[in-house]
Amino acid sequence: MENLLSNASPHSETLIEERGKRIKLAAEVGLARSSGGRLWARALRRRLHRQRKLPQQTCIAKNSTPPLMKEVPLVADVTEEKEEVQDRMRALQRLVPGGEEMEVERLFEETADYIEALQEQVGVMRALACLLDGIESTDGDKL
Amino acid sequence: MEDEIHPLLHPAASPSGASFTALLGLPPSRAVELLHEPTFPSDPALVDRAARFSVFAAASSAPSPEVSPPPPPELAKKRKDAGSGNGKAKIKKGKPAEEDTDGENKLPYVHVRARRGQATDSHSLAERARREKINARMKLLQELVPGCSKISGTALVLDEIINHVQYLQRQVEYLSMRLAAVNPRIDFSGLDNFITSTTTECGRLTIGNTKVGTELDPQQQQAAWSEVGVSDANQMNNSATSSKRTQSQLPQNQLQQFWHVDLLNAQNHLQPSIWAQDDVAGSTVPLLVFDRVNPGFGIFVLSLCPKLSSGFPIGTIVLVPLLEFLSHCGRC
Repeated sequence: MENLLSNASPHSETLIEERGKRIKLAAEVGLARSSGGRLWARALRRRLHRQRKLPQQTCIAKNSTPPLMKEVPLVADVTEEKEEVQDRMRALQRLVPGGEEMEVERLFEETADYIEALQEQVGVMRALACLLDGIESTDGDKL
Repeated sequence: MEDEIHPLLHPAASPSGASFTALLGLPPSRAVELLHEPTFPSDPALVDRAARFSVFAAASSAPSPEVSPPPPPELAKKRKDAGSGNGKAKIKKGKPAEEDTDGENKLPYVHVRARRGQATDSHSLAERARREKINARMKLLQELVPGCSKISGTALVLDEIINHVQYLQRQVEYLSMRLAAVNPRIDFSGLDNFITSTTTECGRLTIGNTKVGTELDPQQQQAAWSEVGVSDANQMNNSATSSKRTQSQLPQNQLQQFWHVDLLNAQNHLQPSIWAQDDVAGSTVPLLVFDRVNPGFGIFVLSLCPKLSSGFPIGTIVLVPLLEFLSHCGRC
């Protein structure tokens, strides 16, 4: 949201938001680097790289590649069920970095790895937050 | 292999709707092997039986009217539905298991079997292999997502997966904000007290530079840590190169060897130029990295860059999971 707004007007983000963005960036870089070989990681790194170069155009750059059509099922008849499934597949493609160019098998594989990586990431960040909160609370007086 | 396919001869085995492998009557490990076989089993009898019992009926252009549900539509990963929906189209009827396997469309109007001779067609063999692969992947995903194994129905399962990914992404977002809100005035000098109180909660988060399992006693830790100490401003770059100091200390692992330690506190020793570096477009020092290849001595590097106009300190923490948190990690 803020990205969209910032295109229109000079951004007046609060300090915390800005810092939060950087931390999130750090987290994503970390995420991407931790799983170097993976397609999603490479796609993520590419996206982050683009983000760095053109910070204002972030939201445009991200969506610049037109999403590829998900593979059409072999059988012509499209029941409502399959329509649903197709929708979800497309949604998943959008979620996983680089997913738009993957076919079904690869998408699933990458999603699994992506989920694992995210879970680790969240664990680390959570622990870190907890840690720092602890530091804050115990050392608040010393400062 | 022959033993395994004997159960297939007896259609009495009623497969559960959910498992393709159960349908085949093969033990899951064997099924996995099948999935990974570069070539399809050469035994045409097996292939044909597999085809017979396969969840995915090859779509025939002219389904016989006697097949009560129409041949289930093929969708690449539509396993669950097909599994249950196919039950009726399933082969239970009497035809003996022996069948001709000459690869032609040989069964004239066998109504129950939805497929027509495509069983041994190399094209559909590949198709089937592919579908099985997709199913296996989907199964893996289900296991990964909590609570997903109980769900049946492809669309719902996918829903869960999507929700989970979104949830995780939101968590990253939320935790970033939370970390940002942490008061930047972090004085690491007095962490001894803090360790005991928080390590239980933050069990995952520890600092050190050794492999898992070896515990450094406090002196060692302190020595190791203080060597790292405070790096100078020049080292604060965002490349993946590690400083020489770190390489001597850390176990060489392929992935993530880089970390900068720059623990400052309110009594800031370092020049303000550090802040400037922090600001360089995109070249934020921040890295939150963890080594998934060697989780034993993975390295987490987080640099909170709480850069404030008044020059608050940067905190850069080096973390190694599952090791003890070092108390003396800063110079004050």
